[in-house]
Amino acid sequence: MHFKQDAMRKYGIIAILAIAIAIPFLTDSMFILNLLVLMLIFIIFASAWNLLAYSGQGSLGHAAFFGIGAYASTLIAVKSGITPFVTIFFGAAVAAFIGILIGLTCVRLKEWFLAMVTFGFAIIVQTLTVSVLAPVTGGWDGIASARLLSPSIPGYQIIEYFAVLAITIASIVAIWYIMKSRIGLAFLAIRENELEAQAAGIDPVRYRLLAFAISAYLAGVAGALQIHHIGYLTPELYGVDNSFWPVTYVILGGLGTLAGPVIGTIVLTIIWEGLKATGLTFGRYVIVGAMLILAIIFLPRGLVSLPEQVQEWVKRRKRKEPLPEPAGD
Amino acid sequence: MDNMGVFLQIIFWGLYAGCIYILLATGLNLIFGVMKTVNFAHGEFLMLGAYITATIFFLTGINPYLIILLSMLALIGIGAVVERFCFRPILGTGKLNEIFLSIGLIYIFQNGAAMIWTDEWQSVKSPYDGITIPVGSLFVPLDYILIMVFTAAILCGLYLFLNRTTIGMQMRATSQNRKGAMLVGINVERIDIISFGMGCSLAAAAGTLWIVSGQIFNPYMGSIPAIKAFAIIILGGLGSIPGAIIGGLLMGLAENGAAFLLGGIWKDAISFVILIIVLVVRPTGLFGEKGE
Amino acid sequence: MKYPVIFIAILLITAFFAGCTQQQATAAPGVIKIGVIASLTGPASNVGTNMWQSAQVAADKVNADGGVTLKDGSKAQLKLIVGDDESTQQGGQKAATKLITDDKVDILVGGYSSAVTSAYEQTIAEYKIPYIVTGASSPIITHRTDIDTSYIFHHCPTTDTYGQYTTMFIDQVVRPAVNKKLGASADRPFRLALLYQDTAFGKGIQTAVNDTIVKNNLKIILISQQSFRMGESDFRTQLTAIKATNPDAVYLGAFPNEGAPIITQARRDIGLNTIFLNAENNDNAQFYKDVGQYGEGAIIESRFSPYTAPAGAVADSQNMFKQSYFTRFGAYPDMMGASTYEGVFIAAKAIANAGTTDKATVRQALVDLKMPQIIEVMKDQTISFSPDFRESTFDLWMEQLSYNATLGETRPVIVWPDNLKTTDFTLPSWYMAGSSS
Repeated sequence: MHFKQDAMRKYGIIAILAIAIAIPFLTDSMFILNLLVLMLIFIIFASAWNLLAYSGQGSLGHAAFFGIGAYASTLIAVKSGITPFVTIFFGAAVAAFIGILIGLTCVRLKEWFLAMVTFGFAIIVQTLTVSVLAPVTGGWDGIASARLLSPSIPGYQIIEYFAVLAITIASIVAIWYIMKSRIGLAFLAIRENELEAQAAGIDPVRYRLLAFAISAYLAGVAGALQIHHIGYLTPELYGVDNSFWPVTYVILGGLGTLAGPVIGTIVLTIIWEGLKATGLTFGRYVIVGAMLILAIIFLPRGLVSLPEQVQEWVKRRKRKEPLPEPAGD
Repeated sequence: MDNMGVFLQIIFWGLYAGCIYILLATGLNLIFGVMKTVNFAHGEFLMLGAYITATIFFLTGINPYLIILLSMLALIGIGAVVERFCFRPILGTGKLNEIFLSIGLIYIFQNGAAMIWTDEWQSVKSPYDGITIPVGSLFVPLDYILIMVFTAAILCGLYLFLNRTTIGMQMRATSQNRKGAMLVGINVERIDIISFGMGCSLAAAAGTLWIVSGQIFNPYMGSIPAIKAFAIIILGGLGSIPGAIIGGLLMGLAENGAAFLLGGIWKDAISFVILIIVLVVRPTGLFGEKGE
Repeated sequence: MKYPVIFIAILLITAFFAGCTQQQATAAPGVIKIGVIASLTGPASNVGTNMWQSAQVAADKVNADGGVTLKDGSKAQLKLIVGDDESTQQGGQKAATKLITDDKVDILVGGYSSAVTSAYEQTIAEYKIPYIVTGASSPIITHRTDIDTSYIFHHCPTTDTYGQYTTMFIDQVVRPAVNKKLGASADRPFRLALLYQDTAFGKGIQTAVNDTIVKNNLKIILISQQSFRMGESDFRTQLTAIKATNPDAVYLGAFPNEGAPIITQARRDIGLNTIFLNAENNDNAQFYKDVGQYGEGAIIESRFSPYTAPAGAVADSQNMFKQSYFTRFGAYPDMMGASTYEGVFIAAKAIANAGTTDKATVRQALVDLKMPQIIEVMKDQTISFSPDFRESTFDLWMEQLSYNATLGETRPVIVWPDNLKTTDFTLPSWYMAGSSS
């Protein structure tokens, strides 16, 4: 049984990769391609948020790191003329550094204190960007950013898509590696029981900071990619929207799993664009909100657990057992 | 106007703005005390309370100060539904889930309200609009005084309810020791629903008082006050009502000081700067004992 | 049933999606496709909805009048396709790309919020599609140098213009009136205070006021410049600081949801009984309702008002637009709606002049455009775009509010400039000038 599951997972991954590679050749719609690029970027962003949550820390202000990565990378690229493909990683390093600083204030905090601090941090960073730092950041007017590739290169959209796809895959592989390694185990141990983890010789402060740093780094990569894709940067990037979307994607896909953010982002993007096509406006958010709540209550491990859940329900029904109180354990 | 007059006036506005925060923070404290649950969407109940009052006012033209009771009753009902179908199923599955659930509630309530009432800014005119009464050296709008009176009355009512009625005492018992309360035969799930509903009705009162004082409103009005109310109860200590009142006043003063000295853009950010500094020094909040 | 199946299913759906959207792109003959970019969701959705509905009213009018005649003599009807920018940068970029590459629109109209619009200007530049921006008030839209903005035309006054007109009005009308009241000499400097939203919008106004004073060497001193955060509801601290400096008037760089509370709090709570000057976006029905009796005496710089129209030619066409909008949607349009309404006419006219929908030819037609004003008053009664930054030039007016006790609200009358005004500016009886020094 276990062996079979692994094999199927392997084929699944191969299938996705094949489709991801084939899509640009199946469609010549720039809208789809652009949508996919933005979706890939949000997969990185959601995965970054997910890694932090994996260590038991739920941030409500990840837009801060998304934005810091974007600003730092843009400023480096514009001032030095280095290609964005390189500056993305410097920009992300700045985000990681700030991530450690904010992590230092957060490591001793629990759940919703931490949520409040991160939420407030995004507001503080936005305020700094438009006040003290305005001479560098352009304030509310924003600044033009270097593009990943010049539009004069023929077929640059497709190249850009593959570049972003490569970075996305690299990020997911990196996260997979971290989750599998001793670091990931330490994250898990801290999340489950901090005292026991400490007794087992894991230093929670160090690992929590590490989680902050890695998560902020990847969020910074995502932010920088998005801005180099769009070409213009304003402080709206720090908005609450950008902090809440990754949470929504991850919860729906499956919190604390590698595939969760990927599936959540893909499914929600499709649903979102589909609802938009029907002409719904505010209704879209109501539906997404309802899906989020239903997922938390009835599918606490997200869409990735849907097949198992369905099997479970079917089995129980066959045995005529009453359904268990959902999610209560 | 002399400096003393200006100073008094600023204190007075701090009190008035503090009323909204105090009602919100007290509601949050009530819910947290009993259920140990946080609801980041608490501000949406303020918004719903405001809209329910405004709708009844537009339809009937009744004095909006009287509608406050209807609005509070309606929110007890809505709060009870939210508690029963959203928070109860996830009780005990971890604090993170409550935070994520709140995000879903924010999406639903804000945009649901926009679907029903549109997201245009609206306003309600108080029947006492334009009436001012002299208090010492200043002239104060009658509405502001009414708001303080209403807030004080609601808080006194709450105090009596918690100390004199059976349900109130059961709530306090549950808040002090949930298992113990169950052992002595208190139906804690019923207490949960009641306290959640009451917390929401305090938010509805805050929303009503806010719009009656001439504040204009739209479906997104609740988020910022609620977040600030959270900051206040973290500062003032979870479950401490005097802490919430002092915290609310201090926050009001800090905000106005920052707007004056650093520029208006810092008004929201300063709350969080203070919050972060306090939490770095004391991770459990200023007056908090054990955090949670 | 394990995850791979879901993965594959999802991706197949994506591919299916791709297939579907592509098929829509075939262009029917005799149809001109105009893409309207508007914020139908998010914080700016009330303005966005207004813009989209105004565009529909305009397209219906053009079509009812026979559509657009092309070079080959054929008549083409307008077809509007809306793109919702969700009031966000990602949303704007998705909407623009979809309209251009999937719906293959011939020309674009709309765009609100400079932050959102600047996020997809890159896409406009890349596909070289004419775009008439009718809702973003920052001059930066067509002044950017990092990309080619030559296809972008700006038909909406910018914060530069607001600030300039209002400052000139203060100098020519308010300053002499105050001097007369005080019995002061004509060279007494006018004490102006600024209270602005700390965003590109408010700062744009601040800059424009400062520049106009310096450039024209006006006798106006800025005694206080206070700012507030967007969406703020309590302005008493800033107003107290302003009051302490004894201003002769206060210019507000604010949105309607801020302007109304500012005036109410200043007059009711602070006792700052002075003239408040507002930017044009405050001229909507909701503002009059929210500000109530406290609006009396205040000034709004405007180009399109729900309750008044300038003396002269455009009054009839303004009323006709308001009427047809009201019949269809049961509400009144605002000024971003008015310029979007005109945007559709400008697009139709440019395509008619070009005789084709070829984008470069249409762009040239827009550059050369000289068409009579439609519902808003333009400089020289003509809509044309400046050669340097492709901006049209509006003639703005100033209106003063007076209280109408039966309505319980104030109503505007135009007091400046001379060719548009219906009455004169007056200082209210309760007006208190600043210190007379």
